[in-house]
Amino acid sequence: MKKLALLLTSGLLLSSCLRMDSLLFNPDDSITEYLLDDFDGETEIDLDGSYDLPDSTEHVFTLTSDLEGDLASIYAVYVGDISRIATDTVILYLHGNAGHLDYYWPRIKLLANVGSKNRFGVLAIDYRGYGLSEGDPSEDALYEDSDAALRWLKENGLTDDRLIIYGFSMGTAPATELMANKRSMQPSKLMLEAPFASDEVMVQDASGLSLPGSFFTSLEINNAEEIAKINEPFFWIHGTADSFLSIETHGEVVYKNYDGVYSTAYRVEGGEHIDVPAIMGYDAYVEAVLEFLEYTP
Amino acid sequence: MYRYIALLVVSTFLMSCNSTRVVKTLDKGEQQITGSFGGPAIIFGGAPIPIPLSSVGYAVGLDTGLTFAGGVHTTSLLFGNAEVDLNMGINAFKTKSNKFGITVSPGLHMIYGFNGGDFSIYPQLEGIAWKEYGNKNNLIFGGLGTWVELDREKAYGEVQEHELMPYITLRHQFTGQKWNFQLEARYIGFTYPNENIVVDYLGPFSTGTSGVYFGISRKFGKK
Repeated sequence: MKKLALLLTSGLLLSSCLRMDSLLFNPDDSITEYLLDDFDGETEIDLDGSYDLPDSTEHVFTLTSDLEGDLASIYAVYVGDISRIATDTVILYLHGNAGHLDYYWPRIKLLANVGSKNRFGVLAIDYRGYGLSEGDPSEDALYEDSDAALRWLKENGLTDDRLIIYGFSMGTAPATELMANKRSMQPSKLMLEAPFASDEVMVQDASGLSLPGSFFTSLEINNAEEIAKINEPFFWIHGTADSFLSIETHGEVVYKNYDGVYSTAYRVEGGEHIDVPAIMGYDAYVEAVLEFLEYTP
Repeated sequence: MYRYIALLVVSTFLMSCNSTRVVKTLDKGEQQITGSFGGPAIIFGGAPIPIPLSSVGYAVGLDTGLTFAGGVHTTSLLFGNAEVDLNMGINAFKTKSNKFGITVSPGLHMIYGFNGGDFSIYPQLEGIAWKEYGNKNNLIFGGLGTWVELDREKAYGEVQEHELMPYITLRHQFTGQKWNFQLEARYIGFTYPNENIVVDYLGPFSTGTSGVYFGISRKFGKK
């Protein structure tokens, strides 16, 4: 019985040490440089050469992100003419939980092909711990690193009315958070691809039971609630065959809770979590994005 | 790559931890301690792996054919949750030779989260048919059980369509002089499809998940 008591005591002492939070992040920090078009590793989608962009419009640089005094140098890629940010419309692309910028490069290029090549500027970042960015990922760092991108855009002359924020998967968390709770800028439109409602929905999907998310995580990501604060136009796209973030339990809930001025939804038949643009067809995807970007309330 | 987060499968503590119920009711005054290790299997990195979950339990024979059992789920404890199950083993039928019988086990499975202050409770019911055989009185049993979901809502007011979480179980016990060793297989949630959810469960017919458990127990204090 002494051993049992010792085991239980040890467990209690360790309680709240183990959380599932860090499993949200799956960064790849094994690279030594960003290769973009030359990257030959796994990417989510494959684009043919017709989507290639002039090298002169691809800029890799660093930003400083300040998380309550914890400074980190994070990497970013801007596709477009930096000197024209003061007049261009720019999409801030916030990527998912895996890999690094090279992994998402085809997606970034696709957005830079909307309308025509480089019609819209596209900025993407690697959060802390991803790719060459310093530091460790965390929920707070997601928001702060994304806000560092907003500050950079603002410093280069971008105004709120020409800023669109696009979040994919995990990136829907900082996208929704920064849209719902203004920091450096207030984006004029929100685009979410395969959003997750909250960690609690993940837990309930996994268990099949109404278990509270707090049993396993301390994450406060709650897109389903935050979306209700947003009034700006909203674009939602989700694959019907998403086996990771179910369209029914995650996407539809987020979409249903939006109560702003305008929304448009694309439920892509047969689309999985990572291949919606490919399944939809790149031309159709680009056209759908363009239509939303050109929408005027 | 996204499957990494599938380790949220620990949220299946409830489905996965082997409850500490008794198969064959203890004699009056007889006690038993148990430990189990194992869990449901998921596809991870392309290969099936069991989720390592553990529990420890205690049982005591209250009367002839009536045993109380309780357990603490130690893995859950490490995550800041007090997860316990309490159940009664009731002998519903037993042959005169005491070699074959049926035990019914109603119980409660409860979780309290120290981090969020949340509490969940799940009634549980299991029926077990057991048979002892051989010189060493090895034990084989099969059972059908279910957890009951009392909450009719999920997050954001969505309807909870799962009222029951049924399982089928098959176990063999190797009976030793002091310690007994158990190997158990379960097929959990077999009425529900296991596709298009965050976890790649390993279940036949694209339903539920299968699990494997190892257990050890020792009886003492028989009067």
